[in-house]
Amino acid sequence: MMELLRAIIFDAFWSAIPAVGFAMIFAVPPRMLKYCAAGGAFAHSLRMLQIHFGIPIEWATFITTTLIGLIFVYVSRRLLAPRPVFTVASIIPMIPGKFAFNTIIAVLSMNSGGVTDKLLQASIENGLKTLFILFALCFGLAVPSLFIYRNRPIV
Amino acid sequence: MQEQGALLSREEQTKITRVLVRTAQMLAQCGAESRLIEQTTCRVGAALGVESVEMAISPSAVVLTTLNHGSCITTTRRIHELGINMHVLCAIQRICILCEKRLLTTADDVNKHLSEIKPFRYNRWLVVFMIGLSCGAFSLLFGGDWPVFFTTCTASAVGMFVRQEIAHRHFSPLINFATTAFIATSIASMATVYHWSEQPYLAMAACVLLLVPGFPLVNALFDMVKGYFNMGLARWGTATLLTLSATAGIVLAMKLTGVWGWNP
Repeated sequence: MMELLRAIIFDAFWSAIPAVGFAMIFAVPPRMLKYCAAGGAFAHSLRMLQIHFGIPIEWATFITTTLIGLIFVYVSRRLLAPRPVFTVASIIPMIPGKFAFNTIIAVLSMNSGGVTDKLLQASIENGLKTLFILFALCFGLAVPSLFIYRNRPIV
Repeated sequence: MQEQGALLSREEQTKITRVLVRTAQMLAQCGAESRLIEQTTCRVGAALGVESVEMAISPSAVVLTTLNHGSCITTTRRIHELGINMHVLCAIQRICILCEKRLLTTADDVNKHLSEIKPFRYNRWLVVFMIGLSCGAFSLLFGGDWPVFFTTCTASAVGMFVRQEIAHRHFSPLINFATTAFIATSIASMATVYHWSEQPYLAMAACVLLLVPGFPLVNALFDMVKGYFNMGLARWGTATLLTLSATAGIVLAMKLTGVWGWNP
């Protein structure tokens, strides 16, 4: 239990930093950075917790981003700022970077060194993971505006 | 104060149209999703008193028509990508809300407020530092250890510096991404060359994450699920091209240093 708690805190801390870093590239106003940090930390640690309890990473990602989307509806109404200002930076820590990298390397190795079963398996597995996590991220964020705010603006 | 559907003179309607198309242009240039562009512009239009605002958004231009008592005015503006800037987005949203609350009632007021928006940017060295730290954080989240963390931090901080320098000289983003990826990967591959860690390839996977085209990707899917297909596909294409050119940079670096980042 202590081990899990420590892992969650570690996860939350180190995923808050990329959320803020990328929010700065997107020029998010300074007073809104703390919401991005909180969003990033919450999202990634919640996803880690779900994976710990055996939920597949794609569904965990979808559930988390849907929650993030719903939570930031309230924040954006309070601060009168459009939602992508917060949500896009918050999901950045969940981008499937390692899977994408492994896919690219496996595909390139197949091109230069010949196709083997192992490489084929690695490229397809990692490629599918990358794709599905990416779709889960984007669709999750769009859920509130597709279901609840169909015809009226959020802010 | 204009009421909804009030009779506007041709001159007034032209003025309103110009302000509206400027709003849409600014929103599109700073990286807003299509529905936000359309919604915000139409709300400002309704608040300024035109009967209806119809617009077509494409990746390179916006076309906007205002209707008022049988009189239509149409105008087009070209969109030049200025880079994602959420500060401008927030400022325009604020102007839209001020219009709806009747604190801004004429086109001239709105125009003045739009002119006062100065795109805000963070100090570049602060961004370099934070992005270095961010990519280091990614390497830790991937399960790396401290030597990998420090290698990744250095590699991506240098990468970010290079990216800013090239962007400052107005090169194509494609060239920018390839060069940045090349330099970051070359530095990160040192961890493998000198055996600094158990899993040195994590540094190579994490250091190029500063090039993830997050906003184009998310906006592309947002646009497509909300029915703006040509805009969404264009953004998807942009994101794919950027990723491909970053890949080219990574591959070139791995060929030159002879480090093949991953062993299946």
